[in-house]
This record gives sequence, C-alpha cells and structure tokens, in this order.
Amino acid sequence: MINGMNRVASALRYWERRQEVLTNNLANVNTTGFKGERVFGRLVGDALTVVDTRTDFSAGTLRPTQQPLDLALGGEGFFVVQTPNGERLSRGGSFQLDAEGRLTDAGGNPLLAEGGPVVVPPGAKLEIDAGGAIKLGGQPAGQLRLETVPPGTRLQHDAGTHFLPDLARQPLPAEQRQVKQGFLEESNVGTVDSLVDMISVQRAYASVQKAVTTLDGVRSTIVNDLARQS
Amino acid sequence: MDPALRAAATGMMAQQVRTEVIANNLANVSTTGFKRSRAHFEDLLYQTVQGTATVATQDAVTTPAIQVGRGVRLSAVQRLHAQGPIEVTNRGLDVAIEGEGFFQVQLPNGQTAYTRDGSFGISDTGTLVTQGGYTVAPGIKVPDQAADLQISRSGIVTVKQPGRAEPVEIGRLELARFTNPSGLESVGENLYLATPASGEPAAGFPQDDGLGRLVQGALESSNVEIVQEMVDMITAMRAYEINSKAIKNSEQMAEIANSMVR
Repeated sequence: MINGMNRVASALRYWERRQEVLTNNLANVNTTGFKGERVFGRLVGDALTVVDTRTDFSAGTLRPTQQPLDLALGGEGFFVVQTPNGERLSRGGSFQLDAEGRLTDAGGNPLLAEGGPVVVPPGAKLEIDAGGAIKLGGQPAGQLRLETVPPGTRLQHDAGTHFLPDLARQPLPAEQRQVKQGFLEESNVGTVDSLVDMISVQRAYASVQKAVTTLDGVRSTIVNDLARQS
Repeated sequence: MDPALRAAATGMMAQQVRTEVIANNLANVSTTGFKRSRAHFEDLLYQTVQGTATVATQDAVTTPAIQVGRGVRLSAVQRLHAQGPIEVTNRGLDVAIEGEGFFQVQLPNGQTAYTRDGSFGISDTGTLVTQGGYTVAPGIKVPDQAADLQISRSGIVTVKQPGRAEPVEIGRLELARFTNPSGLESVGENLYLATPASGEPAAGFPQDDGLGRLVQGALESSNVEIVQEMVDMITAMRAYEINSKAIKNSEQMAEIANSMVR
C-alpha cells in the first residue's frame, strides 16, 4: 500500500516537472534562437516514473529583418561566442558592435571568427556569405567559426540562449554551412502544441490525483470499516 | 508548481516590456530622425533539478542530469540605426543626412549632443540652431540681410549678400559618427549623448571618409514601419495571453494537489 502511494507521488512529480518545462518554453515563445525542451517519462523498475529532458533542435522560422548585424543559421550548426565562463555555442541572433568595434551578442559576448573576435572598423560594411566568410568593405577579413555536434549529442542549456559545448564538437562541414545575414531565427516553440500539451498535463495530473484519493479511500476502508467489524 | 508560475510570470513581464517598446516606436512614427528600437530576450539560468543518478533495480539505469529553465528576461533594447526615408520639405533650413553620421549640438551645460534631426532654425542672434534652440556645432552665424542660404552636400553653408553676385561661405557643418551608434544614450528631444558603449565620436565633413551626405530641403523621417510594429504587437499580445494561460493552468494543478487532502 505504501509502495503504491510512492509510485503515484513519483507520477505527480513527473507531471509537475512537465508543466515547469512547458511554462519555460512558453515564456520563451518570442526569444530569438531559443530551442524548446521536450520532457519524456521513463519507467524505472516496474513503476517509478522519472523525467528525462531533451532539447528540441528543430529549426525555428527565419524572419528577414534587413539588419546587417542579425545572423541566423539556415541548417545545422552553431556560432561560437566567447563568454566570461568560456566558449559557448549559439544559434545566432541580433549582434551589435561594442565600443571597440567588436561584433557582440546582446549580452556583450564577442562572436568568434577563426582568429578571434570579429572587429568591424568604423564605416566598413560587414558582409557575411553563406559559408561564413567575412568581408569588410569588400575586402576578405577571415572566416566565422561554425561548429556542430554529432546527432544525438546531449547539449546542456546555458542562460542567454547559449549551449555548453560538448567534447564531441567539430567544425561544421563547408557544404552544410548556411549563414543568413539579415535574418533572425525565431523561437522553435509551437504555441498550439504547447497549449494542447498543457491541457493534457493538467488532466493527467487530475487523474493521478484521483488515484491518490482512491488509494487513500481503500486504506480508509481497511483501517476504519474492517477494524469496526472485527 | 511555484517555479512554473514564476516562469510564466517572467514571460508575461517580457511581453509587457516588448509592448512598451513597440508603443514608443508607434508613438514616434512621425518624429523626424527617430530610430526604432527592438526588445531582445534571453532565457534565464537553468536549474539542475536532478543530478545524474543511477536508479538501482535489477537492471540499473543511469538517468542523465535534468535541467529545467526558469523563464525569460530582457537582455537588451537595441536601437536600430537604419536609414529612414528622406522626405522632401523644400524648406531651406531642413537638412537630412543620407548615410552615416550625426549633427553635433551644443547643450547649454557645455556637453555635446548628437542628432539626426536636421530641422534647423535661426536664433535671434543669427546662429544656426535646432528646433530646441541649441546651437549646431561648430556655430554658424548668418549675417544680417543675407539671403538664399544654401547648404551643399558636403556641408558648406553659403549665403548671398546684397551688392555681391558671388555667394559667400559662412561656415561648414560637421558630422560625427560612432563605432556603435546603438550604444548612444537617448535623452529626448531627438538628441543622443555619447557613452562608453558607443565609443568616441569621430568628427568629419559630410561625404568625407564614409560619412553621409547632406540633402537640403528634406528631412529624414522616422524609420518605424507601422505594419512591422503591428505584427510585432499582435505576437506580443498573443504570447502574453498564452503565458497567462500557463499561469492559470499551473494554478489549477496546485488546486488539484490541494484537493488530495480531504
């Protein structure tokens, strides 16, 4: 009986986690370059439900902005940015120049090219082609670092729409490079899916709660009614 | 359930800020030289709610660490210094900048401010001033009885004086530009101030060294596009609504949990 209660409690915790992940996805429904999380339930042993999350790396819609400092990736891969805590992978977004002319993301972290940060001198026009080759005022000025990880690699989220680089990181092959200048990748969170998911989470939570009530009812019968008859 | 409520609340706050930015853009749809802004968001820190664990049964299973995000935050409100459309006004003291650069304006406290708004006037002492009455650097004095003020593309200001056939040069307008114009601080009245984020101003004459050219008799209108802002406003509104639904849903789950104890 006690064991049954534990199983139900683990199921309740599972649905609560699921709701937390869903709300985080929905809160980031307009965050550029955001990748939603999916929750999976796993049965361990015969009844204990545990949670497993995976980042959904499906592409978000590319929105044209005509801003030369907005960068997105059409296919797979990541840009590399230098943060105070080390290098991080990023799906791009809205970059800007800092006082030294370095190309940085919204959090002030420089975008990395092969030889360090990209520096744009005043007045120079920045052009980045699909392969990530940088041109400043028409002159070639290096190559953006683009990386990828093998399919199925678990990348950990870091704040600021960054991902912690995995040991399996490798340069993105030239034929897969699709850098889009003047585009932003929208969040890949589907609002309809998430809302439907949220309703089912709530219903499932309610059913599990009924199971608790029923188990409790059974226990009550045993303790109170059976005891009275004897 | 509490973290879910808070994450959804951060989502609502983010959309509210976004709407505020859009509302300000729309309010300035006819402001000369106005540059629209865009709100940027990023996800908050992820919390490891469950470390890597081995669940011991007959077939031991290792479950990876589970991270749950805690919502969204505003990361930046970025001003977009894209060129606005040039609107012909045919007024002699209206000057638009086509390309990069800002007019420099002398504030009463000695500071220099920067503006793209070139609807100038002439003060009672004959100085070229902005609509707010601030002197346009480097300070151009228009002599009495001067007529036919012309401003060339490269900033040279000439007037015709009675009794002289040739126009006389009375000064030259200078422009300043910044490595990172998005880092300038808005102080209202279409004026900006330099900040450490914008970098040091580099002054020069129009058309020199990549600076823009001047167009007399025209003004640069706001670079706000109404349709774009409207679409953004609708998405912000819907996102706000969805997050409120998430709050309601999480709250109902908490209620269900409470009803377990009879």
